[in-house]
Amino acid sequence: MREVFTMWRHTQMVVLVALTAAIYAATLIPTQFLPIIPGFTNVRPANVFPFVFGLLFGPAGAWGAAVGNLINDFFGTLGLGSIGGFVGNFFLGFLPYKMWSSFFRRGEDIEPNLASRKKLVVFLAIVVLASAVCAVWIAWWNDLLGFVPFAALAAVITVNNALAGLVLGPIFMVLLYPRIRRWGLLWTEIMEPEEVSASRLRLLGNVLMWVGGLGGLIVGLAIGLGLYEQGFAAAGFAAGGAGGLGIGLGLLPFLALIVVASFLLGGREQVEAARRAPRRVR
Amino acid sequence: MDPYLYLDRDTPVHRLDPRAKMFLLLGAFVLAFLFPDPLYGLGVLGLVLCFGHAARSLANLRRIWFILAMIAVMTVLLWSVFGGGRTPLLWFVELEPVLYGLGTALRIDNTIIAGMIFLSTTRNEEIATGLVRLGIPYRFAFAVSTALRLVPTIIATGSTIGQAQRSRGLDLDSGGVIQRVRKRIPLLVPVFVSTIRSTSVFSMALESKGFGAAPRRTYFLQLSVRRGDVVAMAVMAVLVAGAVALRLAGYGGVEGFSR
Repeated sequence: MREVFTMWRHTQMVVLVALTAAIYAATLIPTQFLPIIPGFTNVRPANVFPFVFGLLFGPAGAWGAAVGNLINDFFGTLGLGSIGGFVGNFFLGFLPYKMWSSFFRRGEDIEPNLASRKKLVVFLAIVVLASAVCAVWIAWWNDLLGFVPFAALAAVITVNNALAGLVLGPIFMVLLYPRIRRWGLLWTEIMEPEEVSASRLRLLGNVLMWVGGLGGLIVGLAIGLGLYEQGFAAAGFAAGGAGGLGIGLGLLPFLALIVVASFLLGGREQVEAARRAPRRVR
Repeated sequence: MDPYLYLDRDTPVHRLDPRAKMFLLLGAFVLAFLFPDPLYGLGVLGLVLCFGHAARSLANLRRIWFILAMIAVMTVLLWSVFGGGRTPLLWFVELEPVLYGLGTALRIDNTIIAGMIFLSTTRNEEIATGLVRLGIPYRFAFAVSTALRLVPTIIATGSTIGQAQRSRGLDLDSGGVIQRVRKRIPLLVPVFVSTIRSTSVFSMALESKGFGAAPRRTYFLQLSVRRGDVVAMAVMAVLVAGAVALRLAGYGGVEGFSR
């Protein structure tokens, strides 16, 4: 997680945060009036940007997604719910670069592009996971505040995020990667290896992130829809009454897993690999 | 069209220090959040609207009324389905979840209206400087304020490209939502690419002007907390303390509601 803070030393990364946030917000604002759950979720093709910018610009893409979503709220829906949106969108841009290298063996090509079938599959898998993690944070926060039931929000956000990333993500990656590499704007080329946290137990971090994201989503939906109560009741353990275990408490272990996995997953190997690769001509 | 909510007026609210306005906004969030009972929510709404009237910023309600109305309708519907109660009202719907839904709709709308008043009375530069004075790192505040400034430029560029293509006969408005989105995306790619391309030049321009050269910065915009700010914050603190006491005494909840 060190790079999330050390990136602010680089002027280029600060500018990338501003530009990615502005692009994300500018694309979100016009689609505010294409609702899915009116007032809460709308059609968001702009959600492709956190995945693409997260992978290419690293922590700058993650901060850009968080700030961009907050700015979108500045145009009419700033409220307590915006805090959940900030955190959720941060993870939407954070996971792509954080998870990326954990799918590849040491010595394998880990350039953040979609040049092989394996890389495409990894990118699409990360899109699904990041969508779920983002949805769990936002829906958990809104449920905790008592604003919107988890079950009503989580699945819609996951699908909405994932659709944009799955359909548009590969197209934008193919369009943007060569240009961004040529301009020397990949995060792995801007940051120094010692500024980025090293991976500790990458495989475990990868597994924990999946359990935290998808597990949190599934368990949250089960609690929200009352399925766990029926299960307990069927097993003879409980009467199945409402309000036995709240979403707020029930999802805390999963959110903790997501945070722990974020510390276990590194990123330094990506910067070191970029250092070993042939340098671009400025 | 200016996408920002800021209204350039000379009112006592506009003249408050941005940090005081942030404190008031936080207080309004707490007040709105405390009471699920719609009657109490209406009381908070009255307070927020009075404040908005004093700030002469209620004109912006016209821009967000549709979102507020949609949130209200959907919140009542969602909680009527997902919540439980004791008093049958209509078919499977019970009275308590409907009341809770109404109260929650007011809570959400109250926070959004409070946010709207804050943004209607506070310029972007004031928000950025206020955040820095509250201890937020300058570079983060700079990124936020720069992004805020760039959004209208990007929207305007996208709109200009759209109009140019329309004048050449491209039909952007027919078809369903997905078709319209598909037509617009290729037009927007050059906007994104050119925006990102400016990163290096932008960074060099900043560094040539000494961005990050000195650990302590000076600001053109000078902020100072005056007596009016202290009074406003004290009134809000008393209101919040009173509301918390009321809630702890058991008022403002929805009896019989379960999730």
